[in-house]
Amino acid sequence: MEQIRRRTQVLTNHLHHLLQHQESEASPLSPNSCLNYSPPDLNNSLFSFNPTDMRIYLDYHNLPDRDWLYGLITQSRLFNPNQRGQKLFVSPDYNQSMEQQREMTMKRISYLLDKGVFQGWLTDRNPDSELRKFALLEAIGMYDHSLSIKLGVHFFLWGGAIQFFGTKRHHDKWLRDTENYAIKGCFAMTELGHGSNVRGIETVTTYDSNTGEFVINTPCESAQKYWIGGAAKHATHTIVFSQLSINGENQGVHAFIAQIRDADGNICPNVRIADCGHKIGLNGVDNGRIWFDNVRIPRENLLNSVADVSLDGKYLSAIKDPDQRFAAFMAPLTSGRVTIAASAIYTSKISLAIAIRYSLTRRAFSVTPNGPEVLLLDYPSHQRRLLPLLAKTYAMSFAGNDLKKIYVKRTLESSKVIHVLSSAFKATFTWHNMRTLQECREACGGQGLKTENRVGHLKSEYDVQSTFEGDNNVLMQQVSKALLAEYIAAKKRNKPFKGLGLEHMNNPCPVIPSQLTSSTLRCSKFQTDAFCLRERDLLNRFAAEVSQFQAQGESKEYAFILSYQLAEDLGRAFAEKEILQTFIQAEATVPAGSLKDLLALLRSLYALICLEEDAAFLRYGYLSMDNAAAVRKEGTELCSELRPHALALVTSFGVPDAFLSPIAFNWIDANAWSSVQH
Amino acid sequence: MAPPPLNSTIPVTDQVLVEEKLSARILALNRPRQLNALSFQMISRLLELFVAYEEDSNVKLIIVKGKGRAFCAGGDVAAVVQDINEGNWRLGANFFWKEYILNYIMATYRKPQVSILNGIVMGGGAGASIHGRFRVATENSVFAMPETALGLFPDVGASYFLSRLPGFFGEYVGLMGTRLDGAEMLACGLATHFVPSEKLSLLEEALCKIDSSDPAIISAVIDEYSQQPYMKEKSAYHRLNVIDRCFSRRTVEEIISALEREALNKKDDWISATIQSLKGASPTSLKISLRSIRQGRLQGVGQCLVREYRMVCHVMQGKVSKDFFEGCRAILLDKDKNPKWEPSKLELVSDSMVDSYFSVVDDEGWEDLKLPARSSLPVYAIAKL
Repeated sequence: MEQIRRRTQVLTNHLHHLLQHQESEASPLSPNSCLNYSPPDLNNSLFSFNPTDMRIYLDYHNLPDRDWLYGLITQSRLFNPNQRGQKLFVSPDYNQSMEQQREMTMKRISYLLDKGVFQGWLTDRNPDSELRKFALLEAIGMYDHSLSIKLGVHFFLWGGAIQFFGTKRHHDKWLRDTENYAIKGCFAMTELGHGSNVRGIETVTTYDSNTGEFVINTPCESAQKYWIGGAAKHATHTIVFSQLSINGENQGVHAFIAQIRDADGNICPNVRIADCGHKIGLNGVDNGRIWFDNVRIPRENLLNSVADVSLDGKYLSAIKDPDQRFAAFMAPLTSGRVTIAASAIYTSKISLAIAIRYSLTRRAFSVTPNGPEVLLLDYPSHQRRLLPLLAKTYAMSFAGNDLKKIYVKRTLESSKVIHVLSSAFKATFTWHNMRTLQECREACGGQGLKTENRVGHLKSEYDVQSTFEGDNNVLMQQVSKALLAEYIAAKKRNKPFKGLGLEHMNNPCPVIPSQLTSSTLRCSKFQTDAFCLRERDLLNRFAAEVSQFQAQGESKEYAFILSYQLAEDLGRAFAEKEILQTFIQAEATVPAGSLKDLLALLRSLYALICLEEDAAFLRYGYLSMDNAAAVRKEGTELCSELRPHALALVTSFGVPDAFLSPIAFNWIDANAWSSVQH
Repeated sequence: MAPPPLNSTIPVTDQVLVEEKLSARILALNRPRQLNALSFQMISRLLELFVAYEEDSNVKLIIVKGKGRAFCAGGDVAAVVQDINEGNWRLGANFFWKEYILNYIMATYRKPQVSILNGIVMGGGAGASIHGRFRVATENSVFAMPETALGLFPDVGASYFLSRLPGFFGEYVGLMGTRLDGAEMLACGLATHFVPSEKLSLLEEALCKIDSSDPAIISAVIDEYSQQPYMKEKSAYHRLNVIDRCFSRRTVEEIISALEREALNKKDDWISATIQSLKGASPTSLKISLRSIRQGRLQGVGQCLVREYRMVCHVMQGKVSKDFFEGCRAILLDKDKNPKWEPSKLELVSDSMVDSYFSVVDDEGWEDLKLPARSSLPVYAIAKL
């Protein structure tokens, strides 16, 4: 009862305060409004740095191209513009049926095609145009994941397979037609029975030397191609991954081109296609299943960069070892992981921008009996929920940029580091994104449930990222495996470590001071030391454990499987250290000033949160209990120092207002009765 | 009799005439010989008046109009160029600083501003009216943002309001400096109403009697005098499809080649005139204008003005290109209408040259535009932040 009386009084005071305020402004207060929306942007002038300058470090490349793309989306009716209050938002209508969503995706692609968005996506091959392609795809993904995935399948998987697995004859025949959408491609790799383990697929292709054709077959139900994006409705052609059997001898997995529909959309003879059906998200993509019943394709349709079959049916390959052959095949698929990693970060940016903007305008509860209600972000607990995720998102932006930079300048020598980094970042960023989306959705309370507010809905749209293009857990195992291989090789040759960022293992083991002061904790040297110490120790432990299992008679493979816990810890240690280092490098490029100071705060928060969250630091004693307590305390302090800059920091993400949602702006006006009436 | 010297025709204090009618204030721009081009004094005076009226509870509505045949032909750029030539460019920067602050105050004003656009509305004149709540066009209205022909770029917050026109009409109007009449202004949203000029005095009288700040009431009163204007057959507004197809392209070069492709498909004077006009404008101006409009589409009005202030300072500093001075020479001073742009071709203006216009200005003591603090804004102003 006392509580109710208190609440009533608080509200009365609040109203009273408002009314007085309004009178002095002499502007009419609509009679039924009780709370004023106070835009956080009004304090623009208090920004200690210009967000457009910060955005250059975050987006890093092709900013005008991104802005162009955003504009193409906001200026067209096709992108479902929706006026809420005085603001315009664009977002697909997820209330449409699966079929309608798929058709809209295709219409949007035609529109973007018409504007020249895809010019050079396959026919220009230089780092600049590759970066532009990444930037545009990222911007598209911020509007709708289905749209970017549908494009990703066509350009990066189908187009990429032709570029990388094919040779000149394939490039000449297919690339331009693909870029112009004269044909629509898909990529049939995964099967009902095999996903991440591509080598186990069961589709079989034989060669008929009488006709000079390959014959593709789906021998059993588990061999049906599954989850093939584009297959259910639109694709006319597909890459088929299949075992190649020559004269009864299996030569391993190879890739072929097969037509599955004619130009009018009729399914080709001997091909059966079914729909994968409604999904928890990504319903704008027509995932399908394909069966091949002795489908005949010309000999030239084998993508023959690695191996070929002669007219008379002889198997020819420069790479004799089937393991190596397979690795050579799979290497180009890293581009998918690079784009997924980048896209995950942009999704986190959207959700953080929405949740933080909301937390700067929404109040709840008072701390004093008659006081005004407190702004959500003024609660230290709310800061602690959102700001570390903001710091991580900054850190991962820099890491993602670094990965893209290495990727577009790739050489044969860098392919291993690209494989390891893209695996580590793809898994780390997509997990981070899912966690961020969940936290932001909860931070928005009930508003987070509304599809129009995006954060909640994005969870189901982006969930798929943690398992497609390589299951996150499998990818992280590959990271640890690669580190272990590097370790064993270095020990065997008795040479210093070189590559995969393990050079720090050649130095004396870093020592963590027993007393951690605030200034030590914020020092990049200490942070790097702590992260390197963890990686070094975990790698030593992992190697020791694997070899111990081997000494007990287990195979290398099984020993690795048994050591999965250390493998997971090591993968994480590697990823977090690499991210920290790219952050420090990015910071070094910024001239002295408030922007650089802010980045230092964010970097420290990133580092300290990692120290706090990974139990390995305490489990293996890299930090004492006192140290761990100091880390935690400093994290809270950093959050409160970042609090005044929160708006500027999310504004720096450069997400267009139209890509955010009503709760990020005047949510009272957006929900007013007047907006219901029309 | 010799003509009086330019700036002394009208005493500085009378360059903005003020009439008080109940709770309405009528501000008339009064430099008719210069088509009411905004001098530094006029901008200062307008700013002073707007700031005072916002706090004055006796004032509920502000009407802005122009004396003579123009509403306002722009900022007094010639004077600015003279200032720069005489001293350093920072004098010019003061002019734009104050002008943009005025634009920001108008865009986020707590009380309705009704601008009567009965004549020329160009450049700075657009900045002093389009940001306000109501813009009344007439059959005499001529709107344009002609800056690219002058070696400048559409400023005064134009990257905010042009970018919000339908489709890619904003790019078209901004790059081309196309003149729009009252009907076109209404159709694309630059004007909120069209009132025949013969009814203006009645409208003004009615507005002065309203005694309210309620936008709905004011709008209803203007509606009573409004009519649906006739859209001329040759209007570019009938060409929205072509405009969208071409002006949506990624770069200025691609916009021009898209227009050239259109011209190949069918012979059309309008398209060839459009191409000619683009080819005559300052290449640097075209590129920075396109980028400015595209960024502006994604930014609030304050951010737009902060960016434009950076840009205009770079333009005046003239490190990359001195086209602004050349444009003013050719169009305003020598009037030979034959500017020699440098860089002379689009392909000579690199991305990094364009980038530099958007960066911090490297000059002792230079600062980004500091927007004044605002409070208790109406809903429609909040949405512009």
